[in-house]
Amino acid sequence: MPVGLVIVAHSQQLANGVREVALQMTGGGVRIEAVGGAAGGALGTDAEAIARAIAAADGPDGVLVLMDLGSAVLSTETAIEMLDGRLTGRVELSDAPLVEGAVVAAVEAAIGRSLDEVAQAALNARHMTKVLR
Amino acid sequence: MGLPMTEARLTITHPLGLHARPAALFVRTAAGFQSTVRLRNLTRDPEREADAKSILSLMTLGVEHGHEILIRADGPDEEAAIAALRQLVETNFGES
Repeated sequence: MPVGLVIVAHSQQLANGVREVALQMTGGGVRIEAVGGAAGGALGTDAEAIARAIAAADGPDGVLVLMDLGSAVLSTETAIEMLDGRLTGRVELSDAPLVEGAVVAAVEAAIGRSLDEVAQAALNARHMTKVLR
Repeated sequence: MGLPMTEARLTITHPLGLHARPAALFVRTAAGFQSTVRLRNLTRDPEREADAKSILSLMTLGVEHGHEILIRADGPDEEAAIAALRQLVETNFGES
């Protein structure tokens, strides 16, 4: 079972869009959850919703969480505390840029890499050059 | 061992080049083989070689539409790996 991914953003639409792009890279088979917005639908992040997304992506090979901006990290850390002891796999938070990291992590997860390998590849995505000319 | 590795020179006809979905499909296909698979973008920099099983490595080659690539596979299933990757490129990654 591949590593699961969770996309956390300040907007549900942003999270969904990143998920859509990342999913396209996998050919199916990788669990990618998208969660965004504060409770009630305003821009922000919601620890309880993030906890549900992590639990949904959970599996024996672990979960990598990718986040858009700073306070998403705080909410994700709270979510992990809320899930204490109720997950099968390890959860890692990624400091990768959201889109690049999600795309790279999705491919790495799809080819069966370990959580550490997926996390490292996602992190390295920050050095990815887009404009080559 | 001592046998030469298998290789193929191909031109990328997909309009996006080796980016996004085509790049991911290339990596997923290469990763399905035991052989090491390496790739060069002969058009941009023939000296630089990337690991075809790493999306990050592959994307650094900047392979665009019309670029010529060299795929090299080395290992027990190198011929099957090259055949599969050749088919992917020649069929435009399953898109028309």
